[in-house]
Amino acid sequence: MIKFLQASVLVFFAMLTASCSYEPRSGEQLRTLPVQDGGRIKPFDSFARETLELIYGRTSYKKDDGSKEPAHLIVMSFILSPESWVNAKIFEVTHLEVRKRLNLTQDRKHYSGEEVFKNEAFKNLMQEIADKRESKEKLTPYFQALQRLENQFFTFRELSSGQMLRVLPNADTTVDKWISLTDLPTDLQPAFIGITQNLASYLGAKTALQDNSSAETKNRLAETSIAFDEAVTKFREQAASKYGDRYDPELKTKKEVFYNQVHPFRWAYICYLLAALVLLFVWIKGIDKGMPLTWGLIILGFIIHTLGFAFRVYLSERAPVTNMYETVVWVSWGVILFSMILEKVYKFKSLLLAGSLMGVLCMVIADSAPAVLDPSIQPLEAVLRSNYWLTVHVMTITISYSAFALAFGLGDLGLIYYFLDEAKYKEQIQKITIGIYRAIQIGVAFLAPGIILGGIWADYSWGRFWGWDPKETWALIALLGYVAVLHARLVNWLQNFGTIVSAILTFNLIIMAWYGVNFVLGAGLHSYGFGAGGIEYVSLFVVLHILFVAYVWLVRNKWQKTV
Amino acid sequence: MTFKNRYVQKFWRFSTSFQLGIPIIISLAVLTAWGTFVEAYYHDAGMARKIVYDSWMMVMTMGLLIYNLLMVVIDRLPWKVQHYPFVTVHFGIIILVFGGWITGKYGVDGTLAIPIGGQSKQVIIPPTDFLVFATYDGDRYAKIYEQKVDFYADEPSESSPFVARLEDKPTQGDSSHELKITQFYPFARVNKKVIPVRVEDSTQAGAQYGSSIKFQLSNPNVKQIETLTQEKASRAVQVNLGPLAVYLGHDYQKLGRKNKNQNEVYFKALNKDHVEYALFRSNEDKPFDKKPMAIGAVVQTPWMGLQIHLFDYLQAAREEWDVKPSEHATPLTTSAVLVEYKGIKQWLLLNDTIKLFGDTVAFIVSYRNRALDLGFPIRLVDFKVTRYQGTGKAMEYASTVMIGNKEAKFEDGQIVISMNEPMKYAGYTFYQSSFNEDENTGEPIASILSVNKDPGRWVKYLGSLILSIGIIWLFYQRRKRRIAV
Repeated sequence: MIKFLQASVLVFFAMLTASCSYEPRSGEQLRTLPVQDGGRIKPFDSFARETLELIYGRTSYKKDDGSKEPAHLIVMSFILSPESWVNAKIFEVTHLEVRKRLNLTQDRKHYSGEEVFKNEAFKNLMQEIADKRESKEKLTPYFQALQRLENQFFTFRELSSGQMLRVLPNADTTVDKWISLTDLPTDLQPAFIGITQNLASYLGAKTALQDNSSAETKNRLAETSIAFDEAVTKFREQAASKYGDRYDPELKTKKEVFYNQVHPFRWAYICYLLAALVLLFVWIKGIDKGMPLTWGLIILGFIIHTLGFAFRVYLSERAPVTNMYETVVWVSWGVILFSMILEKVYKFKSLLLAGSLMGVLCMVIADSAPAVLDPSIQPLEAVLRSNYWLTVHVMTITISYSAFALAFGLGDLGLIYYFLDEAKYKEQIQKITIGIYRAIQIGVAFLAPGIILGGIWADYSWGRFWGWDPKETWALIALLGYVAVLHARLVNWLQNFGTIVSAILTFNLIIMAWYGVNFVLGAGLHSYGFGAGGIEYVSLFVVLHILFVAYVWLVRNKWQKTV
Repeated sequence: MTFKNRYVQKFWRFSTSFQLGIPIIISLAVLTAWGTFVEAYYHDAGMARKIVYDSWMMVMTMGLLIYNLLMVVIDRLPWKVQHYPFVTVHFGIIILVFGGWITGKYGVDGTLAIPIGGQSKQVIIPPTDFLVFATYDGDRYAKIYEQKVDFYADEPSESSPFVARLEDKPTQGDSSHELKITQFYPFARVNKKVIPVRVEDSTQAGAQYGSSIKFQLSNPNVKQIETLTQEKASRAVQVNLGPLAVYLGHDYQKLGRKNKNQNEVYFKALNKDHVEYALFRSNEDKPFDKKPMAIGAVVQTPWMGLQIHLFDYLQAAREEWDVKPSEHATPLTTSAVLVEYKGIKQWLLLNDTIKLFGDTVAFIVSYRNRALDLGFPIRLVDFKVTRYQGTGKAMEYASTVMIGNKEAKFEDGQIVISMNEPMKYAGYTFYQSSFNEDENTGEPIASILSVNKDPGRWVKYLGSLILSIGIIWLFYQRRKRRIAV
């Protein structure tokens, strides 16, 4: 424990100093340029990633030769020379029906502006979405796709006109809207032109190096990147001296670029994955000496995970669990925590294995589906701001999901044992059942008070303790489901096999409460966290598990009859 | 506990068993899940409440749950130490549900809308009333009918209509004085349409129908079509079109111009075919142009080449709602009932009124949410919205209010109600819920407070506390029975 504390304090300070003295790599100073967008001041890097994500569907651009260009360079060139992108395939259109309506070929995802917007059908579609919005009806996935198309169109147009990028505070201190490139004050224009000129020579040097890698071109790149960085820094300094604290206080944008670049959550799940692999090896080979290594990796991952979370809270200046992405990261943190605690108590190994695998699964999902789980930091609805109860209730409820996720992971593991050889792994199965029972107990012990805390929050904020809102109702349904499992186990209706199967099947209620309410039902007061997409993958996940359960159940029934 | 009688014993065993308990838990889960799907289907929480959460099935399941919880606790009497956590949890749930029942039965949950600078003491609550007012002279109205209605629960239809008797002393079997409601749309999309009235009918008791015009304002750049219909002959209507304002039915000769600083056009019904048109430039007392117009006529204005083209004119007209059912609720839908009286059918919207005419009497018919009089007015002194920098997205909003006494005198100081910072007064709690914005400017014009009175609050909190303690206690309790792990 003391070692753990020492290590975390050490890593924390290392990260703190790293972020404070952080300077981006040569030629990348542009990333840190403060811009105002989406209700906050953010580094150009974040702005560019989010914008490219919207237009292109990824946070970096894949060139024809397969190499990747980072978002900040691409988006800056959208702004400075939009004409060079006219025929480039940069607009992602994924909805099949929308493609059909635009007469696009179905064999790719990306299309050029010419193909998409210079098209009579595009105008009709824009009218269609405008009419739909006028009717104030809920948008179906088709209309959400149209809305994205509209956003892509306007974003690119506003970018290229220079209206969208807001780079300096307004001289009038009563106006909080920043001014865009088109309205730059005369005293700062030369500095900005300096950025654009140096960007051009930097990009030129980059292409030259690709065409012909020689000492000369390498030197040229080094020189231009230094000049480019200096130009950005000069603009920053001039702006800071003119606007003072209204321009990027605490150099927060630099720290955010550090967070974007380091991407701590990826390191965390890499640690978890390594830990799971080591554990598996140690377990199969029976080398107990390897356990400290497993623990070390898990704890290292956990510390990085925790610090990444703390960093995000610092950047967003609010409670950490306010959208789907953050809950997934939070749940995976909880899974690791609970599995470590239970492992410490029971020393079954399976607990830590199931926990680390579930942790990896959650984190990989969070990392790989930005369209569904949006990692960008967005402004919060008014009612969700600065509220103690909100933070407590959401964190309590979602941490219970962690416990149920652990039970689910253990259930999968148990089912695999049944699948392999029930009689041979009898002892393992018994241990897993104990783990599941404990994990469900922990989950219930958090979920029930969490729901009640939600009631208290609702009562405090809206004067309604319980309003049959779908999110709270599904949390209650999940609770009832797990309470039923606990009771059934208590009276021995559920044996080991039943408990393991219940842990898997009942988790579907959590999936519904967590994901389904937002993405399937899509109604109710909790609509702030709402998005779309991913239904096909989640359904597949659910169906595969049900099939797995059914298969093992059938095989086991047959086996029992023969015995 | 055991009983000598075999059947009593059997019944007792069943009442305290998991054979009852677990199906109850599962039924509760299934019912509430169904409710969320109902809500998702209609996009309306009220519908889920009516169909599922307030239904007899729900009441029955909850009743059985409480019964089962009580029975298992009584069955363990006399309690030993190992029973304490279990008893605590079950009692916690019972108290919690009981608190919820008190809230449902005696609580108040409504909304209070106050315009900025204005005041209100009427809290709008969910129950709906059907009311009829009668008049003989068109000015004084007396309430002659009032009935609480719930058309969701008792949906009126052609075969079983909702009936209200409007005139006294009906002769046996005479249904001509009956007002019938034969249809109900929970969600309706509505449009106004103008219905011509025979000029003879327009002088009926209390009728005083006004006129209606439809015109187009156009120049090479703009084209706008507007319809103006008077509610009654003595009431003017107007529309403000930026460069000019258009009035119908305002007697400028007697009452003077409405706003001298503006360009104005006054329309006034002359006869069956002609409407008088008078055009004033700003700050002039005499009309710039004045003439009778017939349908199809075009006049030139002196402003930016604008023309006024009279598309339609009715000397006597009334407005009626054109109603289409909608499968889902949207912010634009409302509830509507079809009212039939003396063979004439008309749609009546929730929180709206229509006029009906008897032989010598006129009626105003209203279908509305009930208003609860707080007994003291609340004045909205100020309303502030803070937005996220550089966007229109609201970050925080707050109402500054003053509370009046029974005589509507405002003496106490100002109180700020903001998000998550409610005001408590006279047993009510006032929460900042939302606000109305001006359609054009986006500036807030009224604050919406949600008003709540919850006598069950402390019971629920007590139940929650007991339940939470019980759960944690249960968790720490070492299970003696082997099977429970």
